[in-house]
Amino acid sequence: MLHRLSSALWFCAPFIVLLVLWAVFIPYFDVNPRLFPHLSSVVQAGIEGIQDGTLIQHIKASLLRVAVGTVLALIIAVPLGVAMGVSPIVSSFLTPLFRFFSVLAGIAWIPIATLWFGYGFGAITFVIFNAVFFIVTYNTLLGVSTIPLHVRNAAASLGAGRWAMLTEVLLPGALPNIVTGIRTGLGFAWRGLIAAEMIATNVGLGYMLFVARDFYRTEVIVLGMIVIGVLWLLLDRLVLAPIERATIERWGMVQRA
Amino acid sequence: MKNLTIRNLSKTYFDPYAGTNVTAVHDVSLNVGQGEFVCIVGPSGCGKTTILNMIAGFIPHTGGEILVGGRPVKGPGPDRGVVFQSFALFPWRTVLENVAFGPKMRGVRKAEREKIAHEYLALAKLTEAAGRYPAELSGGMQQRVGVVRALANEPDVLLMDEPFASVDAQTRMTLQEELTRIWQEKRPTVIFITHDVAEAVFLANRVIALSKGRVLEEIDVDLPRPRSWDSLNDDARFKELSGRVRQLVRSA
Ligand SMILES: Nc1ncnc2c1ncn2[C@@H]1O[C@H](COP(=O)(O)OP(=O)(O)OP(=O)(O)O)[C@@H](O)[C@H]1O
Ligand SMILES: [Mg+2]
Repeated sequence: MLHRLSSALWFCAPFIVLLVLWAVFIPYFDVNPRLFPHLSSVVQAGIEGIQDGTLIQHIKASLLRVAVGTVLALIIAVPLGVAMGVSPIVSSFLTPLFRFFSVLAGIAWIPIATLWFGYGFGAITFVIFNAVFFIVTYNTLLGVSTIPLHVRNAAASLGAGRWAMLTEVLLPGALPNIVTGIRTGLGFAWRGLIAAEMIATNVGLGYMLFVARDFYRTEVIVLGMIVIGVLWLLLDRLVLAPIERATIERWGMVQRA
Repeated sequence: MKNLTIRNLSKTYFDPYAGTNVTAVHDVSLNVGQGEFVCIVGPSGCGKTTILNMIAGFIPHTGGEILVGGRPVKGPGPDRGVVFQSFALFPWRTVLENVAFGPKMRGVRKAEREKIAHEYLALAKLTEAAGRYPAELSGGMQQRVGVVRALANEPDVLLMDEPFASVDAQTRMTLQEELTRIWQEKRPTVIFITHDVAEAVFLANRVIALSKGRVLEEIDVDLPRPRSWDSLNDDARFKELSGRVRQLVRSA
């Protein structure tokens, strides 16, 4: 407990230093707030955004898109990855394809997404979906195909049928890879989301940033950047990393990516 | 009816690199009665694992037949339990859940299968480790789990492929003694594969000497049980039998 507290403090320390420097030097050099805002005005913008509900509205819109895109992607990616991983031929045939799309995933899909779905929820969710889908499918496939043959044989000779093989062996065996895939995929998705929201919508954190620029409201831009970063860190450190640690470390399963 | 019959079994692999066929097992016939403990011993590459994998149903045979309780083997199944050299435990399951896996597949309810698992864990002195994950155990403990996991499913035949080859010599002797003790208590039908002649003679009722995919000779081991290394190390009969098997395997 003490250890975790001190590591959390240590994690926050550089940010605190940054905030202090900001609070001291921006007023000291009398920087034009149209170029960079004072810390106090960002705090002010944050309080206003919470009070009038706009900030919360943007955050909600962004998180909802991420959640829907990610869940849809997982529902398809995991079974598909397992099916592909079971067959060595299918998996070796499709691996290059999924690698290619994994790298491409995210921002590059925005133009075509807006052509297909128009501006708004559909296009942005599609971008998120792609960012998560290809990486998670690829990682699931990798995870399944690296489960040792003995382990599958052991399950079969203990009476596991097809369904039990899937739920008792292939899925848990691939889980560390799946979680890693989700973590990387969500990283891409989050970045893609902000970019897509700048172009293709009228609500959300990316939109909030983009519109603020038109009015030289640097305090809103910086506030948005901080919220985006903090939300990601919270998601990653409080949700994804602990799951990854719980599976990989407790099970002693080393990543073989 | 839990006996195992192997008739004229053979296996030819295709070696894709050499582009030729390799016959790893030639015309092997073998009868193992219920409750027997048979060791197949032979040098590396003589086809031991191939035979075991065919009995387990992991690979198809190319000639002859394998019958368990009169029924031909078509694939892996719970009538043949397997203990692997590499343990092959499920890393994502606790020791207790690993051992309860077979009963779970049979549809045994949770409370009941955990009772079974606890009983078998006690047999291998693993009660303390029930809640731990395999990665948190030593190699010797992991293989104890491997053995009782297969036994807890009460297979007709227990197949073991050099299960103690990857633990240290001290632990190996303990495991061998424990295995003979558990065997005497539960009397499963066992086929145990090894290249270690002393291990084979120590464990078995009958030793099959194998060379280049053929059975050389079957030797009955009439040593009294319970067996322990303390008493057998200097036993004349043990030395004599081991000497004979060693000569057979070496001369081939
Ligand atoms: N999948 C395979 N394809 C081609 N040849 C194989 C294959 N598996 C085994 N062999 C060959 O069959 C022969 C017997 O192999 P096997 O693994 O059964 O030997 P073993 O007695 O278990 O040896 P060890 O004591 O080293 O485990 C060897 O010559 C081996 O090269
Ligand atoms: Mg072998």
